[in-house]
Amino acid sequence: MRHVSKRFPGTIAVDDVSFEVRAGEVHALVGENGAGKSTLMKMLAGSFDDYTGEIVVGGQLALLHSPTLAKRHGIGMIYQELSLARPISITENLLAGRLPRRGPFLDKGRARTQAKELLASVGLDLDPNLPIEDISQHEAQLVEIAKVLGNKPTILVMDEPTSALSHEEVERLFCIIGDLKSRGIAIVYISHHLPEIFRIADRVTVMRDGKKIATTPVAVASREEIVQMMVGRSVKEFYRREERSIGDVRLRVRGLSRFGFFHEVHFEARRGEILGICGLSGAGRTELAKVLTGLDRADEGTIELDGKPVRGSTMANFLEQGISYLTEDRKTEGLAVRLPLDDNVLSAIVDRLSSVGIFSKARGKPRVDRLIGELAIYPPDPSRTVGNLSGGNQQKVLLAKWLASEPKVLILDEPTRGVDIGAKMTIHASIEKLAREGCTVLLISSDLPELVGLCDRVMIMRKGHFIREMQYSECSEESLLLAANGDTGRPAACPDPQGRPS
Amino acid sequence: MSEPSRPGTADARALRTGSFSSIFNTVGVYAIAILFLALGALLQATGAIGNFLSPKNLLNIVDAAALVGIVAVGMAFVTYSGNFADMSVPTTMGFTGYICIELLRFGFVPALLGSLAVGLLIGVLNGFVVGKFKANPIIWTLAVNYVTMGVIRLVWVNKQIYPDMRGSSDAVVALFDSIYRLRFFNLIGLPLVILAVLVVMGQFVLTKTSFGIKLKLTGSSLRAAKLSGIAVERTIVLSFVIAAFTATIAGLAITSLARVGAWYNGAGYDFKAVTAIVIGGMTLAGGRGTILGVLGGSLIIAILNNILTLIGINTFSQDMIRGAIFIIVVGMNALSLRNLGRDDA
Repeated sequence: MRHVSKRFPGTIAVDDVSFEVRAGEVHALVGENGAGKSTLMKMLAGSFDDYTGEIVVGGQLALLHSPTLAKRHGIGMIYQELSLARPISITENLLAGRLPRRGPFLDKGRARTQAKELLASVGLDLDPNLPIEDISQHEAQLVEIAKVLGNKPTILVMDEPTSALSHEEVERLFCIIGDLKSRGIAIVYISHHLPEIFRIADRVTVMRDGKKIATTPVAVASREEIVQMMVGRSVKEFYRREERSIGDVRLRVRGLSRFGFFHEVHFEARRGEILGICGLSGAGRTELAKVLTGLDRADEGTIELDGKPVRGSTMANFLEQGISYLTEDRKTEGLAVRLPLDDNVLSAIVDRLSSVGIFSKARGKPRVDRLIGELAIYPPDPSRTVGNLSGGNQQKVLLAKWLASEPKVLILDEPTRGVDIGAKMTIHASIEKLAREGCTVLLISSDLPELVGLCDRVMIMRKGHFIREMQYSECSEESLLLAANGDTGRPAACPDPQGRPS
Repeated sequence: MSEPSRPGTADARALRTGSFSSIFNTVGVYAIAILFLALGALLQATGAIGNFLSPKNLLNIVDAAALVGIVAVGMAFVTYSGNFADMSVPTTMGFTGYICIELLRFGFVPALLGSLAVGLLIGVLNGFVVGKFKANPIIWTLAVNYVTMGVIRLVWVNKQIYPDMRGSSDAVVALFDSIYRLRFFNLIGLPLVILAVLVVMGQFVLTKTSFGIKLKLTGSSLRAAKLSGIAVERTIVLSFVIAAFTATIAGLAITSLARVGAWYNGAGYDFKAVTAIVIGGMTLAGGRGTILGVLGGSLIIAILNNILTLIGINTFSQDMIRGAIFIIVVGMNALSLRNLGRDDA
């Protein structure tokens, strides 16, 4: 890509960027949310017909004005959100648009064999007749990769492919990437996780505010340098701990079970404490959170707040008594993206801002203004539609919504997933401030440095059970990872890919 | 994508996403209404239609707008809640008309209250099934529409009934007749007064009450509203009850106008109301729009009908034209939402 630019009205999303990726190379593309990475890659995928500059594929000038053209030039995209149709079978998804035929009919046998081959190329051994909704998230992610590989791409773009995967699954994905690389495929890898980039990338390009900052071989770059280029400022100490005083028991959970999801969960959390809950995906963390917050019912056990059982059974009851829950699913469960910022921030306290049924937005305004300032939400405009904000700012709005509810216990489910470093720092600072003010924070996270950096204590959850508790002093990324994986803490070995599509 | 430190971005985007809504927002819809009036005047000037601007005809338009408006203002709550439309409106109107006429023998007030109770019951049923059991609102209310129609034809053996044939006193019948015919200062009809009250109340409820705010959240994102501790089922039930309430009022008015209870009394009001709502700038996706806009939409529908009738276009062709306009408006609406969605990326 030579000197490419893409304008949106009023904004230059990508500003005169030149970018290249070589065959058999993994080229990482990093930058904060809104830096222009996704737009740059969408250009490559043929999403725009009005970019400027030149794109050269395999030595020839290519006009990528539609997704079909991009596909024809051998460009494959794997998006953050899966593009598979859930109710239909793996085979049909994999071979969509090029199902083998015999005469006018579908050649089922051949379709099955081809699907099997594609699955094997990403190390999956699944029945290709299963519908997508019956397989797990990470299997679906791999099926997605297999689908794109079916088009025999020469350039493969992966946008945050690990954001929904657990540690073991990430390892497997890396093995597959290594295999693709050895087949001479050029890979562009977009990620927020710097350690991943150091693991698998050959070169890294940093973008900021729509411009390319630098391209450098990973071997000679340091993590510090890259972060500095990304944020444009020096991040000396990511986590600086301040002393917090921890008070009386606020939340006491005894023998809590939801059959099939988690069993006999037992713990206490104190005022001013940040209690981490660590576990692999599927360990029952989110399910536990949904019971603690009144969304789902427990089958057994009790939840006490300040020594008294929590009254009522709906989320509204729990919220009223001071238990708030920040969901991991920002776009569908967290925010009403078509509504303005202030409506979203006040959405959990509509009743509290109303008297005799009349809602007073004016009464909530100081709160909104204060939170916008506190969380440095950009742009600081309460009337701005939330869907038009960058991911990091949307996440801040979601946090603001729950801070506005002034909770006694705040349950955070993946509060910084997929957000840029700047937003992450702001969110972390805000969580610490909240704890200093006496709020009890339950932090569910797959981000190990986050758990290590913020938590006073971490509970390890595995297969629906609390298996261990670790104090701050014992916590490290390695120890948490080992514990979460149970006895075998070793990363999974690379399985040998059994077959490849010719 | 929004990059930091770029002044001007906000305005540019607001302009872009607002390109559709700036045509069909509350002010824009009245501009269109005036445009239609001008069109009518022009047609009169060219001699294509007579008497468009006569006081009598203008009054006709306003009276027609009042009936459509009453239905639309209530149904707008359903649209706003993200449940598209209440298709059971036509037979709710017809059914409550029958009930009222039957009950007139017990007096005027009992008849009003009785028919209102029946209407609200239909609303509760709709809201409960859609809100609690997540039934598809269009399919469910359409089914209710047909079931109610069946009930009417079964109970009254496919007969129309007249207010003065049920042993009701003449005074009560006169009162019933006056629902539609009562005019203040010999000019402003009762339905128009009711509409004005409903619009003011509706606008207030939608923008100023906690129920209105909850409805906006529910309509914008059901899951997010639920996870904000909002009792979304209750909110949805209430929106259907409001739609049924205004449909009942319109049903009584139209039955009074026709002086006859007939199953087809409300025919066509479902679609007229939805068109008025959408033209009025309320999106079918929910959570956006104003009651004042819906009022403007109702006015446009009434003017359009009037012009088409004056030109001498038959009912079927009128339906076709209304349908075409609906498709165009919904299409533009969807397009503007998609533009908005693109900005989400």
